[in-house]
Amino acid sequence: MTAPTDSEIYDKICELLKPYNPKNHPIEPSSGIMSDLEVDSVAVFDVIMEIEDHYDVSIPMEMVSDIKTVGELVTAVKGLTA
Amino acid sequence: MTKLFDKYAPLQTRVDMMMKMGSDALGVEFDDIISATRGRIGNRDILLAGTNNYLGLTFDEDCRTAAKTAVDDHGTGTTGSRIANGTYSEHVDLEKALAEHFGMPSCVVFTTGYQTNLAAISGLAGDKDVIFMDADAHACIIDGSRLTNASTIRFRHNNPEDLDKRLRRRGEIEGGNALVVIEGLYSMFGDVAPIDEFVDVTHRHGGYLFVDEAHSYGTFGPTGCGLAEAQGVLDKIDFISGTFSKSLASVGGFCASKHPEFEITRKVMRPYMFTASATPANICAARVAVDKIKAGGHLRDNLKDRGEQLHAGLKALEFDLCAEPSPIIAVRRPNEGLAAMEWNWLMDNGVYVNLAVPPGTPQSSSLLRISLSAAHTEADVQVIIDAFAKMKASQGEIMSNMMSKLQAAE
Repeated sequence: MTAPTDSEIYDKICELLKPYNPKNHPIEPSSGIMSDLEVDSVAVFDVIMEIEDHYDVSIPMEMVSDIKTVGELVTAVKGLTA
Repeated sequence: MTKLFDKYAPLQTRVDMMMKMGSDALGVEFDDIISATRGRIGNRDILLAGTNNYLGLTFDEDCRTAAKTAVDDHGTGTTGSRIANGTYSEHVDLEKALAEHFGMPSCVVFTTGYQTNLAAISGLAGDKDVIFMDADAHACIIDGSRLTNASTIRFRHNNPEDLDKRLRRRGEIEGGNALVVIEGLYSMFGDVAPIDEFVDVTHRHGGYLFVDEAHSYGTFGPTGCGLAEAQGVLDKIDFISGTFSKSLASVGGFCASKHPEFEITRKVMRPYMFTASATPANICAARVAVDKIKAGGHLRDNLKDRGEQLHAGLKALEFDLCAEPSPIIAVRRPNEGLAAMEWNWLMDNGVYVNLAVPPGTPQSSSLLRISLSAAHTEADVQVIIDAFAKMKASQGEIMSNMMSKLQAAE
């Protein structure tokens, strides 16, 4: 299987974030997942589990704590799927 | 320039909103606690239905006598940690009693339940180990993992198959081990873990299973050891932790292990080494409570009956309940504002439950959480059901009251 591109990962993450973004804040690569999209600290980890399952990768919690924006999440997933 | 507390502005707004709905649900002040099931605020008697006092032993005569005698004999505090002057023969005796109850060779007693998981998890998981924790794990499990340099992976709540998948995905842990951490009875929804299935999955992958029985020690199992005992797998659990501040009606915590080598962690667990040990009164009250738990089949029977009574009563009123009957019954509400209004309404009508809101709850739920006690009578539980029925009948009034308070706040 070929590694997904940045834009494929970005689109997938936006899709997975949708149910956790009930106020429909616009999602940009620079959007803060908790600060702008208002995803609570527990729900963030639920999104992470969905991403882990989609790409069949492990994203440990200590890595998640360094990820603040959607773009940073894309970069992290890109690194794990490369 | 940013000020130190500016970061809390959004939280302050949320708290201000809650205060406009009534009083602070997260800062209730009781003027008196009269018994295991009754408190008083001003001249109002309050039925306590949210205190985790599962066996109602806080006012047990023998427990109280043990605590009072301990103060007279050994003073009010130990003023030292377990590794300095804070280990009395009573601390060791309690450790032996708990180890014997679990049929395990090692048990360590801690100053609080929170510190127990903080200490045990950080003591067990080293740099090369990997912690696998249930998605609904309590804050002390999350914080314990943060004190380690171990990698931490979450698996879906109460889902052994999901754990299996994530253990397989992670593959071989070079130079380390998998430590799987679950709870027996989950504090928010009151749902029970399939511990027997987790034992199979964990051990198939060569991992160690850590079960927090904070809410289930004393309340489940033929001798009150908890859900591992109830599910027939007590002898297969690597580590069992628990608290004194629920069924044991005191303050403190413990971790027991079937591995005698667990004793070495006394020399590395920072939340054990660098805090004062539990007071003689707390330790001696808990010691008596252990015996009460072992012989407490009648208490567990009543607790089970009351849980079934309350569950059936609330279900008949068509409330959305989060789990099957247990000593914890959580009622899911549509949003935080309404839950806060209803919580105030219940207090005004003489019933104390817990208001639980995100992020402290699974699935971003807003809950009215009830915890029952063996000290509750059938009539007490009927009072709770009647209060919820009346609250439901008053929904229109509660809603309009909320709207007017929200408008006044704008």
